Amino acid sequence: MMAALQREGRFMLRDRSVIAWMIVAVLLSAVAVTAGMVEVAAQRETLTRLIKDDRADRSAQLAQQGDWGSAAYYAFHLTYDPPSALAFAALGERDASPWKHRIRMLALEGQIHEADVANPELALIGRLDFASVAAFLLPLLIIIALHDLRARERQAGRHELLLSLSDGRLWTMRAGLRGMALASCVLIPFWAGAALSGASGSATAAVTVVVLLHAAFWTAVCRVSAELVRPAAVILTGLIALWWMLAVLVPAGARVLIDRAVSMPEGAQITLLQREVVNDAWDLPKEATMTPFTAAYPEWSGHAAVRLPFEWKWYFAFQEIGDLRAAPVSAAHRSGIAERDRWAGRIAWVSPPAWVERTLQRLAETDVAAHLRYLDHVRRFHASLREFHYPKLFRDADFGTEGLSGLPVYEPVKPR
Amino acid sequence: MTALRIAREEWRYWVRSRLVLTATALTALVLLSTALTTAAQMTAERETRSRLQDEAYLAFVSQPARHPHRMVHYGHYVFRTPALLAAFEPGLDPVTGQSIFLEGHRQNTATFPAAADSARLGALPTISPAVIYRLFAPLLLIILGFGAIARERESATLVPLLMQRASGMGLVAGKSLALAGAAAVLSVPALGIGLWATTQGETLAAALAMAATCLVYLLGWCAITVCVSARCRSRHTALATLAALWIVLALVIPAFGVAVAARSAPIAGKIDTDLRMLSELRTVGDGHNAGDPAFARLRAELLAQHGVERPEDLPVNLRGVVAQYAETKLTRVLDTYAERQRADELAQANLSRRFGWLSPVVAFASASRALAGTDLETHHRFLREAETLRFGFVQALNRVHAQQLAYADDIARSRDADAERRTRVDPAAWRVLDEFRFRTAELPTRLQAAAPSLVMLLCWVLLPMALGLWAGRRLETSP
Repeated sequence: MMAALQREGRFMLRDRSVIAWMIVAVLLSAVAVTAGMVEVAAQRETLTRLIKDDRADRSAQLAQQGDWGSAAYYAFHLTYDPPSALAFAALGERDASPWKHRIRMLALEGQIHEADVANPELALIGRLDFASVAAFLLPLLIIIALHDLRARERQAGRHELLLSLSDGRLWTMRAGLRGMALASCVLIPFWAGAALSGASGSATAAVTVVVLLHAAFWTAVCRVSAELVRPAAVILTGLIALWWMLAVLVPAGARVLIDRAVSMPEGAQITLLQREVVNDAWDLPKEATMTPFTAAYPEWSGHAAVRLPFEWKWYFAFQEIGDLRAAPVSAAHRSGIAERDRWAGRIAWVSPPAWVERTLQRLAETDVAAHLRYLDHVRRFHASLREFHYPKLFRDADFGTEGLSGLPVYEPVKPR
Repeated sequence: MTALRIAREEWRYWVRSRLVLTATALTALVLLSTALTTAAQMTAERETRSRLQDEAYLAFVSQPARHPHRMVHYGHYVFRTPALLAAFEPGLDPVTGQSIFLEGHRQNTATFPAAADSARLGALPTISPAVIYRLFAPLLLIILGFGAIARERESATLVPLLMQRASGMGLVAGKSLALAGAAAVLSVPALGIGLWATTQGETLAAALAMAATCLVYLLGWCAITVCVSARCRSRHTALATLAALWIVLALVIPAFGVAVAARSAPIAGKIDTDLRMLSELRTVGDGHNAGDPAFARLRAELLAQHGVERPEDLPVNLRGVVAQYAETKLTRVLDTYAERQRADELAQANLSRRFGWLSPVVAFASASRALAGTDLETHHRFLREAETLRFGFVQALNRVHAQQLAYADDIARSRDADAERRTRVDPAAWRVLDEFRFRTAELPTRLQAAAPSLVMLLCWVLLPMALGLWAGRRLETSP
């Protein structure tokens, strides 16, 4: 067995076409890993700069204010989701969805949907990251390298001879060896990237297992197709058609079906509703705002009387009422996205490429769930701003720099 | 007429080939279902966004009497109506925000891209007719054509063929003609979608231009396929070579172009520019506060001009004048930064589009987006038009503020309920808002935007064709 394996290994290394595809695999993966690392480094650098600029802007704004209401109104806070150590391998949502916001104590629904995203044209074409190499290109490389497993020997007239010398295990061994060699070529640059980025050993191992499983699937498919006594060209066409079905057609069809089946409110409805509620409040009697507000915050019912046409506590109260009234639509929108993502996760089981990409994004924390976690975190931070300011506004506290020391500071989601 | 006879024989061969028939049927099925889905989706989007646009306008003009500055912050929504040919090429439409909230003192981002709500199933699944043409129609042509000449060589019919009837170039021409016929048939659905779009209001010329672009792109692939088939020893090597070529041209180079563009021309995000702008803005002053030092000079000038001592005695409301002045200055800064950001984005996009010289797939993608009116430039125009509308209504409201409100009431309104009541303006004033409907650019503009990519596409036809003829001549000396 070992001897046969060694012989196959030597044979493989003498096969110029296999070596060529292995070099292509290494190059593709290296380019993808480098591009991912460059992007992640740029994102980190941006964040460092933003955190500094944001702090400077906030102190400049706060220095000009004379009361708590204006302080809350003019102080913006940067919220962000730093890339994980593994993000270089699967950029995922970080390309298309916002991972940074600047928010203040106004109605959050009017702010959290703002999207400071990268160039949409580049996002549309899609980046070459390690996940896309492992999910979409690796199967094609395996198909091209393995589709003529037996047909080539038949062509060379060695087929019968090889069969007489060994049993059918020869083809399995040959396919397995070459498939795994290609997978390793794709993985080597990734391992280097993971080591340089400080990714955890368990995450790196998990990615490795996912990629090897994926390679094993396509190797097995090629091995089975070798049983067909057909010209290599027909087998190749069939395999590419299968790739097309699994990588493109099934996910595309499923996507349309999922989007139809799981209905959710249009995002624009949230902001429209929030804006109507907030603006109506100006024209309504103050009790229309303060009664529902004190229902939500009974602790302020003793301080809820509004005497002047404009008071900050009333202003921020109706901002919160705007959020509260939009909350059901916003929650439905959020759970719609989560539900569609859950369904996509189930469908991905019948589409190995989609499954690989989604799994790598989950490991890299660049998937939809991670994005939603970040948004939830922004909501919590916004709530802490309210918690901090309400006592000042409702008790009519004196404004001063010493009071500002307790102002919440945004901390990103803790790594799990 | 040998070329035509050779082509006819090739077609007859296809009809007998199960492989060819299955692949054709599959492609037709996918193309048809994609066309129907995309057309239905984009039509629904058009209707929804047009309706929302009308509702937003109605909501604005039917607001009750109130302080005009409140309307500045009540704001307005604009929606980007998708182009009609988006049914063929949705382009940037699903990945860019489709609505913007317009209000005073701010330029908000476009929010709620459709793709953000969609199920995520990998990088490729956003398929549209354009994507099918771009990525998969070439595969069909490869399956039809990989054996065109390699097959004759393999079955040893090439030499007799060359001796009996055809010159090498004639053989290449005939096989190319056969594939070109397939490309022409394959372009019919694109024409069909275009013609459907003309019934909705698109011009016939645009529909024809789009179908012609598809045809040219496919002809390029025909020429590439025949070239490879003429040079490869066996059908199998021809197919493997073409498949590898497809992977590189269709999947690798476009993504590589994006990586290069993102790296060599990095752009600052919106928050980044906002923060840098804010420090500049601190010198402009806050338009809410007429006592801000930046406005002291304006105030002094105004008082001197009217020969009065106190702002209460001015014939105009000082706060309204300050608001107008501040909005103008602010918008100038905002526009400078926004234009810089757009210029940076465009520079990045142009860099990635230049990879069209390396891959016809990139050239065709850029050309089809430009022709459909779903490219980056169109999105930028939407942002600009939205900004023009924003500045227009905000300043119109500020004018109302300056001319119809008494200064004394205005400064007392936060404390005095009667004064507050007197600062409410009759809702007829809300009619200052212009109606907004985003329209696709005229065809000449779109053609101009597509021109560089169309030139690349033409090269991608002519070059492989020339190579094919050269390969044809070589056939005679070494078949």
